[in-house]
Amino acid sequence: MDINLWSVIKLLVALGAIIALLIANSVVMVWLERKVAGFVQRRPGPYAVGPQGMLQTIADTVKLLSKQIVIPGSSDRFLFLLGPVLCMFPMFIMFLAIPYGPWLTGLEINLGLLLILAFSGLESLAVLVGGWGSNNKYSLIGAARTVSQSVAYEIPLLLAILALAFMTGTLNLTVITEAQTGWFWHWNIFRQPLAFLIFIITCFGETNRAPFDLPEGESELTGGYHTEYSGMGFALFFMAEYTSMMLVSFLAAVLFLGGSSGPIGNGVWWTFLKMGAFMTFMMWVRWTFPRVRFDQLLNINWKWLMPLGLLNLWLTAMAIKVF
Amino acid sequence: MIKAIVDNIKGLYSLLVGLFITGRYGLGPFPAWLKLQKPENGYPQLTTHYPWQTIEPENLVNFRGPLELVPAEDDPAQSRCVSCLMCVKGCPSGCLTVVKGDQGKAPKVWLSDFSLCSLCGACVEVCPAGALRYSHDLYWVEEKRENLVNDLLAKLAAPRKASL
Repeated sequence: MDINLWSVIKLLVALGAIIALLIANSVVMVWLERKVAGFVQRRPGPYAVGPQGMLQTIADTVKLLSKQIVIPGSSDRFLFLLGPVLCMFPMFIMFLAIPYGPWLTGLEINLGLLLILAFSGLESLAVLVGGWGSNNKYSLIGAARTVSQSVAYEIPLLLAILALAFMTGTLNLTVITEAQTGWFWHWNIFRQPLAFLIFIITCFGETNRAPFDLPEGESELTGGYHTEYSGMGFALFFMAEYTSMMLVSFLAAVLFLGGSSGPIGNGVWWTFLKMGAFMTFMMWVRWTFPRVRFDQLLNINWKWLMPLGLLNLWLTAMAIKVF
Repeated sequence: MIKAIVDNIKGLYSLLVGLFITGRYGLGPFPAWLKLQKPENGYPQLTTHYPWQTIEPENLVNFRGPLELVPAEDDPAQSRCVSCLMCVKGCPSGCLTVVKGDQGKAPKVWLSDFSLCSLCGACVEVCPAGALRYSHDLYWVEEKRENLVNDLLAKLAAPRKASL
């Protein structure tokens, strides 16, 4: 990619659009999550602010913006403030590489998948920095859990995605999406069902969502790694959670669900529709299943997902060699 | 090994069953709006939407609200209280004030400070005349602490209109 004025302008516009997308996503999805939680538990959810409580998140955002950021006296001030910032920053780069449509992508590179997987490791580092800097035993335990969980769950995730890379012979997300155009049986979910199952389970582990939300497990660690954070520090961690949810949903849409191809009228809207559906599924799962214990979490990973991922990779390689 | 695999597949199936149950309720009011659901199954909401809805009085009969005096059999505006002050002695929070009247046994002042009351029921238990009971007033709200001092004799003479 040659650097010229046009490409710089394109990058800046893409970054602006991505920031707007992340904020809009957090506002809408927090509302949707609370609404889903309410319906699942047979209560109405947010209701009073705006029609069906739609403006509730905006009111909450205003509250969080105006709140004081309390910095504990014994904390490492620099790391404490660095944590939430570091949590959000890699997100922008990862969203640049996602192909939202056949022509709509922020940064056209042929190693998009590698870029996303590399920068997704930074998120657990940010959580570790925040949890360590807080100088609080709950924060530290939560941060340590995040790291061991992310390290464990990244391996089956890579194995599942590697099978797709075997099939298409590329790490370019645009090419992987284009390989799935046509009717829906061309989608990778039907060609690689086992990889999709592993991908779903590791998604919950990677984004620290229930049933694998041990780093912030409220019942045992008060707030986990963000126990000491208030105001915008907490809001950034909260936003990062929903942003990483959106990221894995976009990845699911692009890698497994055919990206921008749909039954009628291929286009960007199908990617966003699939992303929304996958996020709703993640919320549905969160309000259905109880939290697993930590040894169970690691057992699922090392005893089931790893061997299954390797098996799937081996079968894919065999199939490619034979046919 | 095979048993473990079978158990895990059964476990995956049970996860699907759980998803189905929450998914049925998680759709919220939409099946009812779209007439996909029978009306008797109806809107699956279990909670009462307070400012817009209130609970029917027959569901409040076992609710233990602020204290109230039981009216006498012959005169509903008079209390059965004999001013023995057993309730004042028995109250652990010291929230009751009873002053005996000038003639007869009837009290002339009967105050219950609801800001101190813990609704323990010692006064109701100890009353020899059966003159005390819990009211079923769920929606009592005041803006100032002083207003929570409840004049039970006045309330007996002129029952407060139930708010809402």
